[in-house]
Amino acid sequence: MPEQPNPEQDPITTKSYAAYYLVAMVILMATLFWALWDEAWTQRPWKAFQEHWASRYSAFLNTARSKSATSETDVEKNPDYIALKQAYEKTYQDSKSQGEDARKKLDDASARLLAVQSVFTDRRAYVNALTYELETSKSDSEKASKRKEIDKYKSEQATVEYPDGSKETYTFPQLEEKYNEIRDERTKRSLELGDVLKPVTAAKAKMDEYISDHMVDLTPQQIDGLKRRATEWVPAIVQINVAEANIVDRCESCHMNTREPLKITAASMTGKGEKKPDEYADAFVSHTQPELLQLHDPEKFGCSPCHQGNGRATTSIEKAHGNYEHWLWPLFPKENAQAGCQNCHAADMVLVSGDVQWPTLNNGKDLFRQRGCMGCHRFEGYDKEPEDLNAIGQQIKQIETQKIDNSKQTAYLMKQADAAESNEEANKLNTQAVDLRVANSKLDGRLQQLDYQSHSLMQDQKKVGPNLKDVRLKLNKNWIPVWLKKPSDFRPTTKMPNFRLSDHQIQAISAYIWQSGFTDPLPKHKPGNATHGKELFETRGCLACHSIGEGDQTQGGTFAANLTRVGEKANYDYLVRWIHNARQRTRPYCPYEKKDIGPEDYAKKGLPYEFDLDHSRCPNDGHELQVQNMTVMPSLRLSPEDAEDIATYLMTQKKQEPSSYADASYMDDPKLKDEGKKWVRYFGCSGCHEIGGFEDEGRIGTELTYEGSKPIERLDFALFTEVAQRGGKDAEPIKDKEDLARLPDGPATEPWYNLKGFFEHKLAEPNIFDQGKVKGETEALRMPNLHLTREQVLDLTTFLMGSEETSLPASYQYKPGDARHDIQEGWWIIKKYNCMGCHQFIPGQQTILMGMKQYQDIQEQLPPKLLTEGARVDPEWMRKFLSNPALSTTDTNRNGVRPYLKVRMPTFSFSDNELRKLVRFFQALSQQPMPYIPEEVPALTTKETDMARSLFSSTAAPCLKCHATGDPNHDKIATAPNFLLAKERLKPDWVERWITDPQAVSPGTSMPSGLFKQQNNQWVFAGPTPPSFQGYEGDHRKLLTDYIFQLTPEEQRRVAASMPHAKAEMQRRSERKQAAVESHPVASGGSR
Amino acid sequence: MDWRQLWEICSAPDNVPIVGLIPLLCFYIYLAFKQAHANDQLIAQLEGDAALAKTHHRKTWPFKPGWQKEVHVWPFLLRIEFLAAIIVTIILMVWSITLNAPLEEPANPNLTMNPAKAPWYFLGLQEMLVYFDPWIAGVVMPTMIIVGLMVIPYIDTNPLGSGYYTWKQRKFSIGTFLFGFIILWVAMIIIGTFIRGPGWQWFWPGQTWDHNRLIYEVNRDLPDIFGITSNMAKALFGAIVVGGYYLLGGFLVYSLFRRYMAKDFKRMSLLQFSITQFLLLTMVALPLKMGLRLLWHIKYVWITPWFNI
Repeated sequence: MPEQPNPEQDPITTKSYAAYYLVAMVILMATLFWALWDEAWTQRPWKAFQEHWASRYSAFLNTARSKSATSETDVEKNPDYIALKQAYEKTYQDSKSQGEDARKKLDDASARLLAVQSVFTDRRAYVNALTYELETSKSDSEKASKRKEIDKYKSEQATVEYPDGSKETYTFPQLEEKYNEIRDERTKRSLELGDVLKPVTAAKAKMDEYISDHMVDLTPQQIDGLKRRATEWVPAIVQINVAEANIVDRCESCHMNTREPLKITAASMTGKGEKKPDEYADAFVSHTQPELLQLHDPEKFGCSPCHQGNGRATTSIEKAHGNYEHWLWPLFPKENAQAGCQNCHAADMVLVSGDVQWPTLNNGKDLFRQRGCMGCHRFEGYDKEPEDLNAIGQQIKQIETQKIDNSKQTAYLMKQADAAESNEEANKLNTQAVDLRVANSKLDGRLQQLDYQSHSLMQDQKKVGPNLKDVRLKLNKNWIPVWLKKPSDFRPTTKMPNFRLSDHQIQAISAYIWQSGFTDPLPKHKPGNATHGKELFETRGCLACHSIGEGDQTQGGTFAANLTRVGEKANYDYLVRWIHNARQRTRPYCPYEKKDIGPEDYAKKGLPYEFDLDHSRCPNDGHELQVQNMTVMPSLRLSPEDAEDIATYLMTQKKQEPSSYADASYMDDPKLKDEGKKWVRYFGCSGCHEIGGFEDEGRIGTELTYEGSKPIERLDFALFTEVAQRGGKDAEPIKDKEDLARLPDGPATEPWYNLKGFFEHKLAEPNIFDQGKVKGETEALRMPNLHLTREQVLDLTTFLMGSEETSLPASYQYKPGDARHDIQEGWWIIKKYNCMGCHQFIPGQQTILMGMKQYQDIQEQLPPKLLTEGARVDPEWMRKFLSNPALSTTDTNRNGVRPYLKVRMPTFSFSDNELRKLVRFFQALSQQPMPYIPEEVPALTTKETDMARSLFSSTAAPCLKCHATGDPNHDKIATAPNFLLAKERLKPDWVERWITDPQAVSPGTSMPSGLFKQQNNQWVFAGPTPPSFQGYEGDHRKLLTDYIFQLTPEEQRRVAASMPHAKAEMQRRSERKQAAVESHPVASGGSR
Repeated sequence: MDWRQLWEICSAPDNVPIVGLIPLLCFYIYLAFKQAHANDQLIAQLEGDAALAKTHHRKTWPFKPGWQKEVHVWPFLLRIEFLAAIIVTIILMVWSITLNAPLEEPANPNLTMNPAKAPWYFLGLQEMLVYFDPWIAGVVMPTMIIVGLMVIPYIDTNPLGSGYYTWKQRKFSIGTFLFGFIILWVAMIIIGTFIRGPGWQWFWPGQTWDHNRLIYEVNRDLPDIFGITSNMAKALFGAIVVGGYYLLGGFLVYSLFRRYMAKDFKRMSLLQFSITQFLLLTMVALPLKMGLRLLWHIKYVWITPWFNI
């Protein structure tokens, strides 16, 4: 080895490793300390949170305490409190000497007891141990010797030294006796002391109660309690553990203030000297919706079932919030927080807690239905009528087979019985045959029920879009292709989405639709009066659903179409029919034969060509027919002339002449029809429209019931997988400006490879994931652009994110079995028909009409608020009213209850099913028990009637001044319903509450408050009492109510006639009113 | 060059051992060869000098008078081993503090991860599945690896090179080991870790692992290329090809052994030699098969109803 110098010393035996060992050991020790630090702090970041919490929260509570102390002093200045305090001090002084005496006695007894007890328990323990040995010893001799030992021990003398220095000796039984004796004495003394102190404690409790009742915030004592908790806090994991639902949530280990009884904001938790709230301050806020926590006790629900995230993780914020690749349920972002509700409240259409609505999720659910998402995507609970119909059809088939089998079996059994050998056997067989016949009769009953059901379901079945079988009768032919090109160009707010159709597809689709439409003749109508039509349109309530005008000029609701350019597309005669009764079908459809039934089918059977809800059987096979258009548009019960006027007005709504549309005669080309059929099927048009030949078409989209649980790998980000995962400068694939504006968070810069990112991008630009891909016509993504707003995308995304397959037990799902179920079901119908466009159901809810200018000064012309409708009306009456709001079969061009309202309660032709649900809904919403048993109204004596009448017609409360009487002259200016309806319509106890304080029942009502005042636990008339009341002890309010419920038409007429003053007053009022109407020409417009 | 992708693969806690493996392996091979080289030089020097050849040497330093001829295990060996144990402890502690166990979400039977990879030490075996059917790659080959390792002491007839590093005296053993370990085991693990992406497709380092990537690749069986259709003929053809490989290879190994390792060959019995030859040819078969598959898209050579090679 020439290169290496030869070491002189033996390199192996002489080399020292001390330096290496030193270094290695130092590093090892350092690593060890690192590991300990890691274990204690790095892996437990919540400790740092809790430290910061303790200091910041104490500081916060100090401030809160001084504020609270000030307000407490204010309360203490109150004379009531001072009186209480004096009372307390007096009792305290009174019982002082007595109390001290009693306490001394008690203390003495306690001390003596203690002295005896220490000796006694010791000896007893020894006896017990010996007894155990005795019990478990095997032989008799052993037992005898043990017994002897015990007896010896018990007879030994033991010395007790009392506190006063005296000594006594006792055997064990004596000791036991002494012990019990002193114990009883102490109990007695303790009770005595309690008796002495009782008034003092009571007085003190009263004082404290007074303070906590009169303090708005927490009392200083309560705050002290909170502070003690903060200062004495020992770092520990705070955990909610619910074994039945497998919830383990440690969120509160950092979010320490979640459930504190104070409102704590991030700003108030910001550390000293910090400008902005840091991550600690953000973590220490109290829950923003404490009332939600009251409904969902965290001890039962935990945190993660609503918010998601990883409740068990404690090692980092990121992990605990589940914001990492491998946790499948990351925390819902703040703006999507309401997604958590959907987990358990999927069966609710409207979520209300108390009077608070949850708009994001509610709107999401509503949009999913109203925008026709459910036309392509199945979602459990949405649009279930067709599915139910299908199921019923199958049941009917099954039962029919069963019936045939049964009758065959019966015949066979009878025959067997005839040939039976013994009487007994014949009887047995006969009985069997009879049983089967009974079974068949039961099946008949069941069949009938199913028939009713399907009748109802046929009625309930609705489509989002119009019936396209009527397209030839209804539309300007040349307009159709223009519309299909991009519907939002014609009508920016339309529900009809943009399918990005090529010109050829448009031609083919319009050709198919045109050629598959009905060609039946329509009755001709003469043109009406457009000015009167405009008045009617604006006053009858059309605007609760429809809007008119564009841009800033828009007024009305968004539930139905904007009618600004309807004159360009519509056919006048059809429009008249539609306005008069939108449900009127051109031809009924038989789902059994799968064809539209025409007059020829009726003629074959010699039947008149007549189909409506009462004539809904198919002439060919007797099955239920679809006799109505599947639209939610109701009938406003207008006269034919009124309908003509409105249609004439609407026909004037146009920007260009219908004739200016380019000629589209290719729509008659039969060659295009087949291709059109292909595209109609491909794009799933029949999801929203009724189209000839597509009545049984299924949905084309994927089911979305559990879309929120879909693994991210199952969502196709196509060419954007990488950018979505990485974020950064080019993370946003959407280039179109309009679509970009739909993204709730604006263009993406952060990674968006998650469900939220996918849903938002998909909703903003549904074909975004086709960008850059080379695809054929029939491979491209089909989802149309719904031109949603930013908020709507957020709402729908939230809804979808929350639509998860939950791991929570079924009991956590909100599926109540009681009246709350009726509320749940009812909301689906309320939303379906847009009842909230006119009526208020929850305090604070705005209706469309309320927001309109023309009602600002004439609030009494608004439709009634239905805040306590269930408590107000008799359910049976309500059912009648809902099925016929005119309350009359002959005089239908009016409102049944409030003829004075210009806005009209329409006839919705609710099915029996929906009527039942609605009535139950209203009853449940007002916490009324079902079924309703009407209260007995006692018959009034003549004297009582006279008294009541004098009240009823008194000048201080001239009821008939505003309430309708049936006299046409008077009713023109009436602003309240006729009393004659009350008996059948109202509930007496509600009436009593109503006439006492109408403002509390229906804020803003024109019914005056303060008619009655309380006196000696009775309600008496607040105005000058009529002389006949002299000496009357009863309740005036009750008397008046009873009178109203017994009012006859004759009586009412008599009273009305005897009110000359009121008449004059009425006259003046009516003049004023006339003036008001003239200054608001929009609001006028009586019926012709 | 997709640096981010490369970083994501290298920094994944699963792959850290493999990333560490590469420099460590290089270093230790270098160290071993350095020592072997020094020893070989010393051996040459000793063989040339009769006097020195009689001395006992523990080290590559020439002998010095006064040095101990032998040293005890305690403390001279154990103190080094204990130091090593301390250093390894430090490494393991730092590792476990800084890197968490690579846990993933609960398994979803309806959703297979893509790429689905075995633990790093099995990635070589998984990679073999590309070239052989599961029966061969998953059962036969691993068994042969274990049996082959067990058999080494019985077929190794070379008495030299025990207890010190050398290359010249054990060229065949060391060469075979390096081939088996580096090429057949480590290289396959590296392919499995860094090269195989979604769909177990071949991605060069730095190429983005695109889940939507489509490639055109048709694999054929060797008999198909020769237009053989019947199953019997395919089996026969494959048997001939595989048999031919072992036969021709056997002749080649035989002549190479005789020429270059005459001494060892003479010491070997027929059984020892045939086992050595069979194992060696089987080892070589793996890269050959990989080449066929990767370069000429040949899936199987020998197709039978029971196994495919």
